[in-house]
Amino acid sequence: MSAMLATVTNPLRVGLRQERVIAPQCLVIFGASGDLTHRKLVPALFELFRQRRLPSEFAVLGCARRPWSDEEFRGKMGDALAKRIEEDPQAWEQFVGKLFYEPVDLQQPDHVFRLGERLERIDEQCSTHGNRTFYLSVSPKFYAGGCRSLADAGLLKDPKRSRVVIEKPFGRDYGSAQALNRVVQTCGQENQIFRIDHYLGKETVQNIMVLRFANTIFEPIWNRNYISSVQITAAETVGVEERAGYYETSGALRDMVQNHLTQMLAITAMEPPGRFDPEAIRNEKAKVLQATRLADELEPWNCCIRGQYGPGGSNESPLSGYRKEPGVDPNSTTETYVAMKLFIDNWRWQGVPFYVRTGKRLAKRLSEVVLTFREAPVHLFDAAAGGPTANQLILRIQPDEGAEFRFEVKSPGSGMRSRPIDMEFSYDDSFGEPSDEGYVRLLADAMLSDPTLFTRSDEVEAAWRLYTPLLELIEDSPWQLPVHPYESRTWGPAAADALLARDGLLWRRP
Amino acid sequence: MSPQLTLQTPLELAPADVPTYLEQLWSPEQQGSTGTGANTFCLLIWQPAWAEQHLIRTGRLNGPITGQQSDQLVAAGQQAVIDADLPSGTPPLAEAVISAVAGWDGINPSEDLRGQYIDPALSALQPRRLITLAPMIEADHPLETLVAAYCPLPEEGGGTTACGDVVVLRGSQNALEEGLAILQPLLPARMPAWVWWNGSLDEAPDLLDQLAGTPRRLILDSAVGTPRQCLDLLRTRVQSGQAVNDLNWLRLSNWRETLAMVFDPPQRREALNHITQMEIDVESNHPAQGLLLAAWIADRLGWKLISSDSDDEAINARFTRGDGVEVRFQLMSVPVGQPSVHPGQMVGLRLICKPDSSPGVCVILCTESGGCMRLESGGMADLELHEEIVPVQNRTPEMDVARLLGGGHDTTNPLLASAAPLAASLLP
Repeated sequence: MSAMLATVTNPLRVGLRQERVIAPQCLVIFGASGDLTHRKLVPALFELFRQRRLPSEFAVLGCARRPWSDEEFRGKMGDALAKRIEEDPQAWEQFVGKLFYEPVDLQQPDHVFRLGERLERIDEQCSTHGNRTFYLSVSPKFYAGGCRSLADAGLLKDPKRSRVVIEKPFGRDYGSAQALNRVVQTCGQENQIFRIDHYLGKETVQNIMVLRFANTIFEPIWNRNYISSVQITAAETVGVEERAGYYETSGALRDMVQNHLTQMLAITAMEPPGRFDPEAIRNEKAKVLQATRLADELEPWNCCIRGQYGPGGSNESPLSGYRKEPGVDPNSTTETYVAMKLFIDNWRWQGVPFYVRTGKRLAKRLSEVVLTFREAPVHLFDAAAGGPTANQLILRIQPDEGAEFRFEVKSPGSGMRSRPIDMEFSYDDSFGEPSDEGYVRLLADAMLSDPTLFTRSDEVEAAWRLYTPLLELIEDSPWQLPVHPYESRTWGPAAADALLARDGLLWRRP
Repeated sequence: MSPQLTLQTPLELAPADVPTYLEQLWSPEQQGSTGTGANTFCLLIWQPAWAEQHLIRTGRLNGPITGQQSDQLVAAGQQAVIDADLPSGTPPLAEAVISAVAGWDGINPSEDLRGQYIDPALSALQPRRLITLAPMIEADHPLETLVAAYCPLPEEGGGTTACGDVVVLRGSQNALEEGLAILQPLLPARMPAWVWWNGSLDEAPDLLDQLAGTPRRLILDSAVGTPRQCLDLLRTRVQSGQAVNDLNWLRLSNWRETLAMVFDPPQRREALNHITQMEIDVESNHPAQGLLLAAWIADRLGWKLISSDSDDEAINARFTRGDGVEVRFQLMSVPVGQPSVHPGQMVGLRLICKPDSSPGVCVILCTESGGCMRLESGGMADLELHEEIVPVQNRTPEMDVARLLGGGHDTTNPLLASAAPLAASLLP
């Protein structure tokens, strides 16, 4: 063991991540020929295998319409993971034997019947105990039909030994989400349905709960008496890239706000659950979402700003605007930026504005939650910045995961001037190991039948209902919510700054 | 959750009839009446329960005999330690206690429910077949073979019925050995088979060899038996390539996790390259767990063992680090007020790190069940001190076994595979 190695990684940490053990089972991936399978799902499974968190009685059955064989599927996954395999070829050799493939069109009953037979053979071959997780990594339009096909074939009849994971987006609006929920709930019990939101797989999002509920110092001040406003930001520097086809039909509101940002809001604002139990936590999340509303539901244009990135960059490396991106309508009014103001009508948060923003081609890639505290009632000291800076607790979701607390201290010198400083916690400094990808955590949880980090039907519906006034307005009279252009790699349109300026506030410039 | 009993009264059959009976029970014609046979795993348990049998026989514990580690059993063992005038640090179910109680008079009869009294942690896994070998203290008791179908009924309801069966072989040890022939057909090759040796590793070595050959997966407890036998057996089995699970190693997980946690911050990791001294305190006179921890640390840090010896008080060893510097190791047994039911549990660990260019570091881990005053003394005033309390795990062996079965592996954990041979070498 060289000194170099010891300082790069903690040698005592290796092999210890075996918290909860996944029971023998077969994971069935529909859409196995798609991007998500080789980019996220199989790498996440391989990582779980390397961490010895998968049992030896385990199999992955890839399903798609392409007529691949087991060997072809294994070969394609091997190509896609070539870099990771180089690090641990022996582990891949053991893992790849657990990959199988079955050509399946979920709309064809005979295919699904044949799938059932194949699963029984895999049970015999791999002792997977008839325990199955079905992962629908297919186009959203097949979610309902896919669930129905599985239920009709009797593959979901045992609620303890079968579960379905459904990717986002779950519906396009309140009505379609309700309709989809009705279908999937006729196919299985709610505890068999795992609606995935990969933001919830992030350590730092989960850490918001730990920070709040494992410490006594935060919860007493986590309310309207001490907090004056909350900002939630998810900023990307990239543009729409190859997702124009999807993005044109969704926009930032559907792509980011309704799911990821709303989940962050729910975890930040929820009441403490009585116990750490999936239903207790999801009850609280659902309750807070049901109490959340746009700051001005009657005239939503007063509390919501849409934007769309225009050109930017420098002469040397120019960036094209959204409407010039391949696959985008040159007259597109799809928003790539949204900022809005919300209120939560409950005892804890009454009157505290929650400002939420997300956008593409912003100045920095980051996600964070910022809680700004009320000012001290009396200012005893001169402040270096003119007035004292409000205390802020900043929860950094990504990158540079961690938290910081900003507060006033005495500035060195003979006077009594105050100035703000930051007290920092960084995951890197404290743990020094990269966190697992969100999919590693979420796949493991789904296979463990732990729905804590998945969204329940009422949460999804509450989230869609929250944004219904905006979606209707965009649909019926889009001119009332115009898309404000903003220069690529800036912090969004000036109108978004004005939204906060009306309340005497500024967006945090991290 | 309370333990579950088999739903039907076990049927006593002649040993030779058992395989045929079970084959018929799971034949397609019979499945309607018994539910579906679970396609899961088979678990073969060596279940001597000597302490329980003797404590019940002598009237110190109420029956029935279950083979499970209950609070009442532990309390009766603790009382026996006092009554037999054994040293106060004697674990309540240790060999010494069994020997003492075995010498006491008593003929209290009791029902023997070993193999029929199933811990819910195990039944939740829906084992296809639980075979219990239940040796009796009567030296001439003939072989009895009991069979029952068994359908776990979760308390919360729901789920389809995936049933299994229980087979109990009961009798004197000699009688059991004669009945072993029926086991092979009862363990179908298509299902993983686990052998849980829930007794001392000193007893019946031939029987252990017969029961626990590869590819069966072995669960043992290296805290039960003489240290030499425990560590040698562990080493041999691991090196043979068999999947071996050691409950004593599993109980170390909080220690490994806490120690790793100390060195998670990158700025502390450099200290790991400069350890010069490692000391471990364990309960009672059984060093296996302490040596496994020491071996894990040494293996992870790339140390090589130079020598090991022992005196009345301690095991002393010397390692060399990758840079050639010597590391001294000492393991001591220390007295504790209320010993754990598992012999030789960890009490404390001290690592002293002396980097060339920065202040030295002393890391002390202490169990929450007692102090580690010995390790906290001894001239560390000039060292940067990191002290952590290690939480005690209060899981029963059944819960630990269920944990292993629930996420079964067909290979030994690589960390244990590396540590076990070194731990055996550390024992002089």
